[in-house]
Amino acid sequence: MILSFMIISSVGALIFLSALAVGTNDAMIRNSTGLYSGHIVGSGITEKEVPLLQVPGVKQVLFRQHQPVLLGSSDSLEPIVLTGVDPAREKEATAFWKKTVKGSYPAQGEETIFLSQETAKRLNVDVGKTVNLISRQGQPLKTLTVSGIYKTGITYLDQGVAFCSAQAMPAGEKSFSAAVFLQADAPLEDIAAQYRTLMPATAFSTWTEFMPDLKQLIDLDYFCMAIVVLLVFAIVSVGISCTFLIFTLKSLREHGIMKAMGFMSGDTALLLLTQIGLLTISAAAIGTLAGALIVGVFSNVGIDIGAYTSHNQYFAVSGILYPRLTGLALFASPFVAVIFSLMAAVWPIAYILRKNPADILRSV
Amino acid sequence: MIELQAVSKQFVSGRGHISALSGISFSVGKGQGVILAGRSGSGKTTLLNCIGTLDTPDSGFILYNGINICALNSQKRELFRRHEVGFVFQASNLLPWLTVAENLQLSLELNNIRGNEQRRRIGALLDIFGLSGYEKAMPVELSAGESQRIAFARGIAHEPAILLADEPTASLDSSNGKQLIELMFSLCRNNGTTLIIATHDQDLMAMADTVIALKDGKMS
Repeated sequence: MILSFMIISSVGALIFLSALAVGTNDAMIRNSTGLYSGHIVGSGITEKEVPLLQVPGVKQVLFRQHQPVLLGSSDSLEPIVLTGVDPAREKEATAFWKKTVKGSYPAQGEETIFLSQETAKRLNVDVGKTVNLISRQGQPLKTLTVSGIYKTGITYLDQGVAFCSAQAMPAGEKSFSAAVFLQADAPLEDIAAQYRTLMPATAFSTWTEFMPDLKQLIDLDYFCMAIVVLLVFAIVSVGISCTFLIFTLKSLREHGIMKAMGFMSGDTALLLLTQIGLLTISAAAIGTLAGALIVGVFSNVGIDIGAYTSHNQYFAVSGILYPRLTGLALFASPFVAVIFSLMAAVWPIAYILRKNPADILRSV
Repeated sequence: MIELQAVSKQFVSGRGHISALSGISFSVGKGQGVILAGRSGSGKTTLLNCIGTLDTPDSGFILYNGINICALNSQKRELFRRHEVGFVFQASNLLPWLTVAENLQLSLELNNIRGNEQRRRIGALLDIFGLSGYEKAMPVELSAGESQRIAFARGIAHEPAILLADEPTASLDSSNGKQLIELMFSLCRNNGTTLIIATHDQDLMAMADTVIALKDGKMS
């Protein structure tokens, strides 16, 4: 009972923790890509090529225009890259508009601009004020009204960029990009490879390439989880070994009788291994079921850790985690439990095998 | 068939070296019934253990059909016990997690006696020992006498050449004990099994072909 409880509880808890780690990583990816960038970015693309990006597994493709300009107010001049977007589709696919701290996100066809809090502060402008767009060569281009001010906490969005609807973009030379948003579980690398084959002239980069810090963080998360699983079972296996030795000592006389009957050492080892193996496998199966059930509950309701992530750039959109079971999260813990339990059986087996049958029968 | 030559065995304990057996020599023929008599601590169990290869003498040797069984490696000793020897201990002989029939079956399985022959032997043994219908009973459900009869049945199920019994009647009343030992001698004589019983029960001595008395590890 004690042995089963140890295995059931540790397997169940570790499956939940593994699923939580997967859920945390999912949330970081979802927040980081869903805020603005998408999962794949294609630079140097033309508008005509955009429909080619709509392959199976792709949820949304956003076409964006970029133009380096100077933003001028009565107080100062600020160099930025103005990004022209389709506001309706951007609001549909990204959570960027939710980061508005004042005013509103630009609407389709409006001659307005969406500034970061930092840029607005440097220009000393507020919602409803106007800013002048000047080319890098110093020629006035047009004037736009500030529709809203945002703050993301992410450097590449808070510094040196501003947004307006595509129709409000000034005349002049532009570069283009496409942000590709994938469906859940869509094969990122496969789709990127497909794009590279289809459009060799366009540079495509996946989120793992343009957000290497996030990639490393996720790898680190999995590495830490693996260490936790191994450490827990290393500790649990000591307990298993001690408990199993006590269990074996309780039937020491029976082992003595079996040895007297001519049980070979291999038979005894196999018997004990089978006992602990069956016990561990059944306990691990129950633990797996229990862990999966707990994950099932929380994967629907989610776990809100927003209070601890509000200033974290990887949780810029939402601090809710949805634990998710993957094959590895589901089977790694029970597999490690069985392996460690079998290893833990070595001590009791060695104890019985080393014992002379006469000594056993004499002592019990 | 079994010949002991100057068998000696010492144990080391907190009290120093204790001589459990000292220069024991005798021989037993096939199908003979032998009683090792002596008080508690006289060396009866140690001698049985040495004959059954559960223990090894420090000096001397034990020949079984001309082979020195003390010199066998552990695997050969295990096989010797499996095929040639049956054991009956003082008490708690049966494996508690197996039924009566499974306890008998285990001994037969170890000796590759399976199928109809296995079923026939189990049925016959339970009949001989008056325990027909107990096949599915668990050891915990049996009385001490019933347990000991099943232990005997298991000891001879595979028709070993030697049956070693260590104080088999200690947990039985004298009437039950005597009946059981009579049955054992009779069965072993019929099967040609050499029976060696260690006991201090004087009432049983008359049944044996040979009585070997032990005192402080020596033949007296």
